[in-house]
Amino acid sequence: MKSFLKNTWKHRAHVIMALPAFLILFFIMYVPMAGLVMAFKNFDYSKGIWASPWCRLDNFKFLLASKSTFITMTRNTLMYYVIFTALGTFLNVVLAIAIDQFVFKKAAKTMQTLMIIPVFISYAAVQFIVYAFISTDTGILNKTLGMNIRFYSTASWWPLILTIVKMWNSVGYGSVLYMSVLAGIDTELYEAAEIDGANKWQKIWHITLPALIPMVTVMLLLSVGNIMRSDTGLFYQVTRNSGVLYPTTQVIDSYVLNAIFKNSNFGFTAATSFFQSVVGLLLMLFANGMVRKISPENALF
Amino acid sequence: MSKKKGNAADLAPSRKEKKGIGQYILGFFLLLYTLFCFLPVLLVFISAFTDEKAIMNNGFSYFPEKWSTAGFGSVLKYGSQLLTSYGITIFITVFGTFLGLLVMSMYAYSMSRKDFRLSKFLSVFVLIPMLFNGGQLSGYIIFTSYYHLKDSLWLLILPLCVTTMNVIILRTYIANSIPSELMEAAKIDGAGEYRTFFQITLPLLKPSMAAVGFMMATAYWNDWQNALLYITSDNKKPLQLLLVNIQKSIEFLLNNTNVPAAARAAMGGNIPQYSATMATVLVVIGPIMVVYPFFQKYFVKGLTVGSVKG
Repeated sequence: MKSFLKNTWKHRAHVIMALPAFLILFFIMYVPMAGLVMAFKNFDYSKGIWASPWCRLDNFKFLLASKSTFITMTRNTLMYYVIFTALGTFLNVVLAIAIDQFVFKKAAKTMQTLMIIPVFISYAAVQFIVYAFISTDTGILNKTLGMNIRFYSTASWWPLILTIVKMWNSVGYGSVLYMSVLAGIDTELYEAAEIDGANKWQKIWHITLPALIPMVTVMLLLSVGNIMRSDTGLFYQVTRNSGVLYPTTQVIDSYVLNAIFKNSNFGFTAATSFFQSVVGLLLMLFANGMVRKISPENALF
Repeated sequence: MSKKKGNAADLAPSRKEKKGIGQYILGFFLLLYTLFCFLPVLLVFISAFTDEKAIMNNGFSYFPEKWSTAGFGSVLKYGSQLLTSYGITIFITVFGTFLGLLVMSMYAYSMSRKDFRLSKFLSVFVLIPMLFNGGQLSGYIIFTSYYHLKDSLWLLILPLCVTTMNVIILRTYIANSIPSELMEAAKIDGAGEYRTFFQITLPLLKPSMAAVGFMMATAYWNDWQNALLYITSDNKKPLQLLLVNIQKSIEFLLNNTNVPAAARAAMGGNIPQYSATMATVLVVIGPIMVVYPFFQKYFVKGLTVGSVKG
């Protein structure tokens, strides 16, 4: 203990330097964690979080009682996670290999720059672009096809629309990570394969893909920890938060955001938040444990 | 991994390959995908310069019947609000990014001191928020009714200021790319802890800070959620909130057929029009489009460093 204090005193400059970020983390991230006790309280705005009376598991009973809302949003959250992750990873890898194989490097670079642009456009702006394509009266799609599809009031279109928007937004950027792995492959491997008479596809299959597998595994596992969280902007902005579309577009995050604005149903929302945080934690621990088994140097902790 | 091969932003080392027909087919598909990514952005430019009537009659189009700059005229109608919002967004982006870079690099530096016993605690402390967090609702109630920060710019700055991933990226860079002998030498020469950090470490951190800084700046520039949750007064509205509000008012007018005709007429001048809306979108996303290519090589590199824990 004494040597610990001595060590800390010796490093007092480092303590002071770490302090600002420490305090920001504490007040912005840690204090709200304590706020999760709301899930077990009958929240009353005038009393605040701590003074509101306890209500044990009543809020969770609400959760289970209101099956449709809770189940729909949890199902949507999971469904979009699976679609986005599976398709996204596949496209990231395909695009990375395609750019890597392309011999006109200057053109590849320019195209890559354009492919990454969408990730820098906020969803608040993206929704106007999406509207320009699919609105009923003025949308390019309806005008070109000479049809009159009412996208903004037909829920069944939205899994497709949101998937396209999400891929448009993230694939170009996501592939950069994999390209940096490809850049690290020893060229001698390819040369040796060539001498052995391997054709292009065999080289991709036996050298390029295996080289990507560790990174793919790690990225997939780490994303597991975020299953319960969604890209809120995508679901809130791009769908224009339209109630008709909720059956296929409402995810936990957008539900909570709406609940805050409507200022209602705090018990239910708090229980949902609690569920989201705890499941997220468990999945994250699980994912990290798996990564640690497979490739310890990529584990988060 | 990336260090050995040098700049990760470089594409794969050029191998000797034939420029056969296969390459052209590949090029064609890459071009298609590039168009898929870029054409929607191009549509913003074109619609912003399209005549309003042309959009009303024929819908949005890449080949408008009539061009016009009237959309930008309408943007100017927002006048002082647009200027204010621009000011707010720029202030938040610049101040937040610099504040974040400073506090996070100091934290990362302290964390990477080897004989510092508390460094273990610091790394656990920064990691936990990645695993577990209070969620939006709890954050909202704590920030508004306990900190009383509703309608305060601090809530646009602080929540995005310190993030686990960025601290890890900076820490990894310090551990792998800045020789600790350098810091020790400075100390032997009599430089204090602070001087060592600000004069030796900080300048060497530049490449990593450029990457992290650009990502942070984009996050600040594009943040609409905190603004929507917390900002109420007009003189604190950032650009993204302006966009959200435009959409909300369009929605309101379209969905409320029972808005009295007189009220509609009164609002007439303010009904956002298609081309004007796109012009506003262009004004909001423009700066990032312009700045981004210059930072591309940095953030590509930073992304790689961050993915590999040191």
